[in-house]
Amino acid sequence: MSAVSTLSHAAAPASPFTRLSNGEDLSAIVRPEDGLISRRIFTDPEVYALEQERIFARAWFFLGHDSEIPQPGDAVTRVCGIDPVILIRDDDGVVRAFLNSCRHRGMRVCRTDRDNVRFLRCPYHGWSYRNNGELLAASCENHYGEGELEKSALGLIPVAHLASYRGLHFATWDKAAPPLEEWLGDMRWYMDIIFARTGELEFVGVPQVWDAECSWKFATDNFTDNFHVFWTHQSLVQLGLLPDFPDFAAHGHMVTAGNGHILHFVQGAPGEEATMGLGLPKSMWPRFAQNLNPAQAEIAMQHGYSAGTMWPNFHWLQLTTAADIETQPVGILNLRLEYPLSPTRTRMYSWFAIDKAAPADYRKISYENYVRNFGPGGIFDQDDMENWEECTAAAMGPAAKRHTLHHRMGLKRKPDPAWKGPGIGYPDSYGEMTQRAWYGEWLRWMTKPFAGANGASR
Amino acid sequence: MSAAALASAGPASCAPGTPLYGEIVEFLYREADLLDSYRFGDWLDLFAEDVRYDMPVRTNQFRAAGEGFQEMAFFDENFASLKTRVKRLETEFAWAETPPSRTRHFVSNVLVAPGERAGEFAVKLNFMLTRTRADHGYQMFTGRREDTLRSVPGGFKIARRRIFGDQTVLTNTNLSVLF
Repeated sequence: MSAVSTLSHAAAPASPFTRLSNGEDLSAIVRPEDGLISRRIFTDPEVYALEQERIFARAWFFLGHDSEIPQPGDAVTRVCGIDPVILIRDDDGVVRAFLNSCRHRGMRVCRTDRDNVRFLRCPYHGWSYRNNGELLAASCENHYGEGELEKSALGLIPVAHLASYRGLHFATWDKAAPPLEEWLGDMRWYMDIIFARTGELEFVGVPQVWDAECSWKFATDNFTDNFHVFWTHQSLVQLGLLPDFPDFAAHGHMVTAGNGHILHFVQGAPGEEATMGLGLPKSMWPRFAQNLNPAQAEIAMQHGYSAGTMWPNFHWLQLTTAADIETQPVGILNLRLEYPLSPTRTRMYSWFAIDKAAPADYRKISYENYVRNFGPGGIFDQDDMENWEECTAAAMGPAAKRHTLHHRMGLKRKPDPAWKGPGIGYPDSYGEMTQRAWYGEWLRWMTKPFAGANGASR
Repeated sequence: MSAAALASAGPASCAPGTPLYGEIVEFLYREADLLDSYRFGDWLDLFAEDVRYDMPVRTNQFRAAGEGFQEMAFFDENFASLKTRVKRLETEFAWAETPPSRTRHFVSNVLVAPGERAGEFAVKLNFMLTRTRADHGYQMFTGRREDTLRSVPGGFKIARRRIFGDQTVLTNTNLSVLF
């Protein structure tokens, strides 16, 4: 076995905080600086248990888009991390997010996926909450003695912080979390290109939601990976839906934007209008200069493909593809979220979004393009899930867990000084610097001691 | 009597036990057999070129809000995109079905009524689709299907198919199988 496949268990001094019960230390088995990531972290129940407290109870997570809850009372049920939440616009128009659980016995209080409600009433004992979370009425109140039912202190449990950027609502359970804008940092510059290039976006209808038997990290790992496309999606190459040369998605930049946020922008063939302007119709291109700064507008103008990950698990996919073998390629914007149900089972959310300024004919063909290529029925997506499940299945055993995965492409590549965006832009969009940055952030969260659970209610 | 002639004869002509009902059920069984034996090209031949084939996304809703089907779909296909799917499955590189899943398409509770247009029939049925794949356990898809079958010389063409699945969250990895 080659030296780069197995890891020395004693590579770094272990602390009780970062040492697993088998004696391995997380910082020794996850070495993004060397492009070596232990297979153990993808399937091990102990690592998963640590992820819950150290990542899913602390990080900023995407809950939903403003266009999903336009009216007072509009609500969708989502997760913040892995805890169920209600994202709701209250009667005063304020967007709020609460743990979807009654303060009394913990029953789920919002029991539909999407609704418009003035009140949330628990089916168990009838406790009723206003859509701003305040407890309006418990039941059998005359049976409580003085001080036994402090209704003003028994509102639905809010997330610690809720904030939005470009219509995207994010939340965290960590009271000590940095403000959202600070956390997103330089990533906001790139999010503008995707979420504000022509004005506002609309998330169309409802997300597709589905489960796969895979580690959530195999899904996250895939989103900024360009060089899997030619092989994983080879069936589309065979049909003429993707270019028939292996380097077709190599003309672009990989970008690490800090805090684990990562992305790429990829160009199509020179002079090919379909893969310019993010695949949007030519009539919309002048809007880039109206909504973006010149450097952002130039990036939007010159590229046909982009993927980005807002660490840890929210992604955009901006692609130019065809709806079928008889249709010309157009742009699609797909938003993705995945979170673990167990170490080896993952729930995926996939949204289709469209520029509000888009003409009706483009909206229709972009939608068809999305449904046919992406989501669980999409001829693009379904082959990715096959990979993620089989990668997971092969990482379950004790022998496999002693070995690493290989993320070394572009380890020595120098940044491109001509890249005009913030963060670090690397030339050649085939490279694994984005994944290494993601795992680096994962390791930072998993190994940095923190104050522990906070915000607990009594 | 031809199917087209029977189509104008009213609901009684396609009730269970009638020759027309029997023809339609046999057509459905033969379609299922084509899918389960990987004869996707022959399956595609059963569709009219103006077909629309869709599977809306379902959400969990109170009964008063209806069945919960919303704006968005898992499938929204026309003939060209069904052809794209079939041609994809015929390559050696459609990894989600290479090696292929083993599927079993069951149809039951078939009800037939005259369609909105002469020579067409509205077919409502329950479906169950089981899949086993590699060394994985059984996966199951169930729901209601609403087909419009059009009489053509020698049989029928599927002119419309709506697939109303029972699940709001698909727990079955992907929809690399056809319905």
